[in-house]
Amino acid sequence: MATSTVPRTRSSRPARRPQRRPAFRIRRQLPTSPWLFAAPGLVVTGAFILYPFVSTVINSFTDRRTLIPGRFVGLANFRELLHDDMFWIGLRNSALYVAGVVPALVLLPLLLALLVQKNIPGITFFRSAFYTPVVASIVVVGLIWVWLLDERGLVNSLLETVGVGKVGFLSDQWLLLLSAMTVTVWKGLGYYMIIYLAALANVPRELHEAAAVDGAGAVRRFLTVTVPAIRSTMVLVAALSSVSAFKVFSEVYLLASPNGGPAGEDTTLVMLVQRTGTGLTGRVGYASAISLVVFAVTVVLMLLVLRADRREDS
Amino acid sequence: MPISRRALAAAVTALVLPLSACGSGGDGGGSTNASGKVEGDITFQTWNLRANFKDYFDGLIADFEKKYPGTHVKWVDQPAEGYADKLSADAAGGTLPDVVNVSPDLVAPLAKAGLAMDLDKTAAKYRSEYLPGAWASHQIPGMSGTYAFPWYLNTGPMFYNKALFKQAGLDPEKPPSTYDELFADALRMAQKSGGKVATLANIPTIEDFGRYGASLMNKEGTGFAFNDAKGVELLTKYKQLYDNKGLDTQALNATPESAGKKFLTQAVAMNPGSALDLDHFKTQAPSLYKNIGITDQITNTGHVNMYVMGMMVNSRTRNTPTAVAFAHYVTDAEHQMSFAKKVAIFPSTAGSLDDPYFTKEDGTDETRVRIAAAKSLKNAVNYTPALFSEQMKTALRNEVDKALQGKQSPQAALDNAVKACDQLLKQQG
Repeated sequence: MATSTVPRTRSSRPARRPQRRPAFRIRRQLPTSPWLFAAPGLVVTGAFILYPFVSTVINSFTDRRTLIPGRFVGLANFRELLHDDMFWIGLRNSALYVAGVVPALVLLPLLLALLVQKNIPGITFFRSAFYTPVVASIVVVGLIWVWLLDERGLVNSLLETVGVGKVGFLSDQWLLLLSAMTVTVWKGLGYYMIIYLAALANVPRELHEAAAVDGAGAVRRFLTVTVPAIRSTMVLVAALSSVSAFKVFSEVYLLASPNGGPAGEDTTLVMLVQRTGTGLTGRVGYASAISLVVFAVTVVLMLLVLRADRREDS
Repeated sequence: MPISRRALAAAVTALVLPLSACGSGGDGGGSTNASGKVEGDITFQTWNLRANFKDYFDGLIADFEKKYPGTHVKWVDQPAEGYADKLSADAAGGTLPDVVNVSPDLVAPLAKAGLAMDLDKTAAKYRSEYLPGAWASHQIPGMSGTYAFPWYLNTGPMFYNKALFKQAGLDPEKPPSTYDELFADALRMAQKSGGKVATLANIPTIEDFGRYGASLMNKEGTGFAFNDAKGVELLTKYKQLYDNKGLDTQALNATPESAGKKFLTQAVAMNPGSALDLDHFKTQAPSLYKNIGITDQITNTGHVNMYVMGMMVNSRTRNTPTAVAFAHYVTDAEHQMSFAKKVAIFPSTAGSLDDPYFTKEDGTDETRVRIAAAKSLKNAVNYTPALFSEQMKTALRNEVDKALQGKQSPQAALDNAVKACDQLLKQQG
């Protein structure tokens, strides 16, 4: 059907400018369009994050086992937690892990980043070398450290040579935990070093130059210029490392054995979840209750770190 | 335009409903009547056997399909690591294969969940083909019925390092055979080596308590009983051994693998193993291999421990006749014997252990180990209670560790372990 493109004019109205016909018409957006675009992401999030989370919350109030559907038991699992020695051991070890690992992972990568920050010949080799543990498999890394720290391993041989004698890195409950922390710090240094390198690149050079002109030494410039400039990055590193330290599994599992060291005294909370909730006789309900505690503590840790940051800002 | 609440609820329901079907259970599945025609498809799962025995199982399946035209067996093999987790995921997801390779401790929870077929009902006619003890090994305390065909048996020998025995002034041709002899030799070994060579690298397990003569469970199978006088005596002696460095200092968190490595590096003098280990010693530790000694498991009861493998039929199989026929085919005397000639295992079928293959010497170490093991199997006992779960093993281990560290007395440790295991048993239902 032909349509006129000539506008009709009325004396009372100003003449309209003739409109050009668009090459194609944009259809009116359907109300469901945004949802259709978001659907793949929503389905994945729902299936792999939302559903497992909701399922864990529901299971934590049941006595569900791997092969037997559970009955609602109210807060019984949480009450049992309070009287479970192994839960308190797990909570203690996970908390100690945060206390030991986080300060080291906030400070040491920063010092490492300062060391490799300057563009001097061959520095790329050192940056790559420091980053290598990050990409190495944790199982391989764990086995290497077990060989190093064994009673007949390299470290003990060296200690014996210098007259210190054998040290039970893998048989003493506290040394085992300390050894696992060392592995975590060693493996995480490169990752956080990269984050700090990016932050350091954004610190204005003029500030350092001005401070130097005012007579500030290297340490003073570090404390009064570098640290304030990268404080938000340090908070980020603290938040990331505290969450991953609280959820530690592989390092302790590999060094202290699946049993969690002598008498299970090195068990962490995530190890306890794995040991309690898996296998054909796994107590899924009880393991879910422990998982919820891990989740709650993790959220609290994040909030504490962010709150400390805000307080500094104000 | 904001999405309506109703649409959102519908979307969430659509998302969650299919997922909620992922729980345990299923449609109740198959028939218990195995008398129908053997035909159709089944799935068969083994436990870490493809790498070394692919040809054997391919041939076995081809022969079965030839014998029963119209059948098709799909073979899947799972790695040893995490096998129980794989089974539990399949069982919970309703994807458990029709015929599954299991051990008694794995079959117990599956039977309790109604997923293992009772062979006393569907395959009772085959019962007489197997050794009575082997058939009984897949019976679950507190339940009637038998839940898997017995497959192969094994009883690992004890390896010892003759050179270390000699250095300690012990007769390398007279290794200990009872726990009393073991403790005496171990204390001497530790004393002579200045604490540098331990005799054992592992703490006592439930099987050690059984071989020492402790009662493991009460007669009804409703509670554990290894905290009796014999159990306490064994743990007391282990504590003495640990204090005097006759037990490796890293034994408290040792695994079978780490203990094997200690033996390989000649840091410990004795370690349990299997005939397969001989090849390993030959290639990995030639100096150890030159001095290797082989003896029976240490026991005070006169019975060594027997490990039993079984072939379970999924109670929800849609093809009961074929699944039962195949499980029997794999485990019958002919096929167990042919498998035994490929690997150091022993048939669970009646009369098979009298075959010259298990009785006639040919002068090689392998044959000597095989004959000794076959001989000890005739009166061997399965000391691993079918209801003893991984969580119970951990509970026992932790309490034994505490006793060895001196944090509590052996009696208190075993009382606590029994209490924890009974609690877990109760929770298993």
